[in-house]
Amino acid sequence: MLTYIARRLLTLIPMVIVISFLIYLGLELTPGDAVSHMVPPDARSMMDEERLQALRESLGLGKPFIVRYWIWITGVMQGEFGYSLAGGVPISKIFLDRLPATLELSFAALLISTVLGSILGTISALTRGSLTDQSLTVVGMLGVSIPEFFFGLVAILVFALNLNWFPVGGRILPGYDSFWDRLPHLVMPAMVLSIMMTAGVMRYARSSMLDALSRDFIRTARSKGMPEWRVNILHGFRVALTPVIVLIGFRLPVLIGGSVIIEQVFQWPGIGKEFVSAVRSQDYPLVMMVALFSVLAVLIASLIVDLLTAIIDPRVRLGE
Amino acid sequence: MANEVALTVNGLKTYIYTNNRCNRALDGVSFEIRQGKTLCIVGESGCGKSVTADSIMQLLPTLSRIEDGEITYHGPDGPVRIDQLPRDGAKMRAIRGKEIAMIFQDPMTALNPVYSIGFQIKEMLKYHTGLGRSDRHSKAIDLLRSMGIPLPEKRVNEYPHLYSGGMRQRAMIAIAMSCNPRILIADEPTTALDVTIQAQIFELMDTLKRDHGTAIMLITHDMGVVAELADDVAVMYMGNIVEAGPVGKVLRNPVHPYTRALLESIPVLGRGKDQEIKAIPGQTPDPYNRPKGCQFADRCAYRIGACDQMPDETQVAPDHRVTCWRYEEFAADAAE
Repeated sequence: MLTYIARRLLTLIPMVIVISFLIYLGLELTPGDAVSHMVPPDARSMMDEERLQALRESLGLGKPFIVRYWIWITGVMQGEFGYSLAGGVPISKIFLDRLPATLELSFAALLISTVLGSILGTISALTRGSLTDQSLTVVGMLGVSIPEFFFGLVAILVFALNLNWFPVGGRILPGYDSFWDRLPHLVMPAMVLSIMMTAGVMRYARSSMLDALSRDFIRTARSKGMPEWRVNILHGFRVALTPVIVLIGFRLPVLIGGSVIIEQVFQWPGIGKEFVSAVRSQDYPLVMMVALFSVLAVLIASLIVDLLTAIIDPRVRLGE
Repeated sequence: MANEVALTVNGLKTYIYTNNRCNRALDGVSFEIRQGKTLCIVGESGCGKSVTADSIMQLLPTLSRIEDGEITYHGPDGPVRIDQLPRDGAKMRAIRGKEIAMIFQDPMTALNPVYSIGFQIKEMLKYHTGLGRSDRHSKAIDLLRSMGIPLPEKRVNEYPHLYSGGMRQRAMIAIAMSCNPRILIADEPTTALDVTIQAQIFELMDTLKRDHGTAIMLITHDMGVVAELADDVAVMYMGNIVEAGPVGKVLRNPVHPYTRALLESIPVLGRGKDQEIKAIPGQTPDPYNRPKGCQFADRCAYRIGACDQMPDETQVAPDHRVTCWRYEEFAADAAE
């Protein structure tokens, strides 16, 4: 088991290098560079080409693309994350400030969608064909097909502005930083972010559960005189759970991608919001670090999913 | 005890509904299972063997119903009408597993893959006996040992995928026998297994019958198995029992053309490659579009005009009954 984890972690390194290179290449191919965003247009018209070039040199932008990538990747390997081109703040400090907010939001959404999705999917499967099942199916289709930012705007309009139940946005009010003070801020973004995932998990849990319930061992369990709840939950749901967990693992990037948008909608001070402005200003070091972090998060999450399935399903043996 | 009746089925009609059509899967089936005896139910696929078992266990699919007839379990506390109990009520659950246990065709899929064999035995003990935790564990080990599973102390914690096919069926029998049921229903328990393993499983079941006095209802389509194991036989065709009686009488003096045809369709060892095997001509009728009268008439070599009507059940002997218009001729033929 431990060697398996170690091996999986080692395979992360080449993957991270390849993926980060592709992102770097993508940034290189976009028109303009950091300097064209740092210097305001009116100031730029007064600067001559030599001063602009000097500025580029000072930022290290003059070197060829491959060399810059090499400098960056070797730096990261040594724990040198660099500075944001906009403002010169150390990237490690940006991460330290912003990451907790993003993690809080994503984790809350993950928790909501996993629990709610599995429960609703199971109910849907157990009441197959009934009104409950059909309405859950319709709600699920709406959930996967309507974009999250739309839900976000509607939620702000209804629950924040009209009903005044939750704050419009933000994460912390100055002076109120206990968990209970922050909770109302978290509710709406987390719920909205989880909608799509909840709907997906629900649909998947339903079909997985129906599949499990049609298997022979369910009949065996009934023939043993087990009560219905035990047949459905202990024998049915437990077997249905493995594919659902795998699905959740695969859908994690959706959550990370969604959080970028949701953080904008709710003015949530997380990495996602930072990422959008960094891409806009072609702030290479920051974009690269955020991208790297997201990639790592997804890869590590998939490792955790593998480990979880091995624990849940005894037929899965790791490492051989 | 030898002739004590454990279960009586009387005029059982179970219908299955699909797409607004009705399949009269069981159309008036009667038989009894005696304590310490094996009743074999034989017939082609789709004749209603498994539906009979599922009706007794109340494990029928949702869109099927016992329309008529009685299933009476003669338990230690007097007779219980199983057909009148709610499917998932506490009473039915108390009978399922504890009084009447069942083993299934394919042990590969009948065991839950994510729980250890021990868990699946102990689950049964937990619900049907008052045994404590550690007692349940040692009882599970004892059960596995008595089913001939090597190293039961270690095997009890293993998962089904680590068991071979034959061992899984033994484990399945261990689960079924864990509460000492009075009746064991085996639905083609060896169809998915090797022939050598098959013999071991049947031997095990025979031992259980002798040691515990368990009544066994064995569903099979293998006449060889019937000859080997059965005390009583019931031959089913399209939802009816066409002939039933003690194994000696039915196999030696079959008085229904279908039983005769079944027996003639078995190759006999030692007669060589050129022996004539008589296959039964035609196919079983569409269950949704049944012929009127005797269901076997279309395939029967002895058909007469009267076969357009369903014959009544007749006793050839006190313990041997048949549903055929011309049984007297067959009986006379057999007596020669």
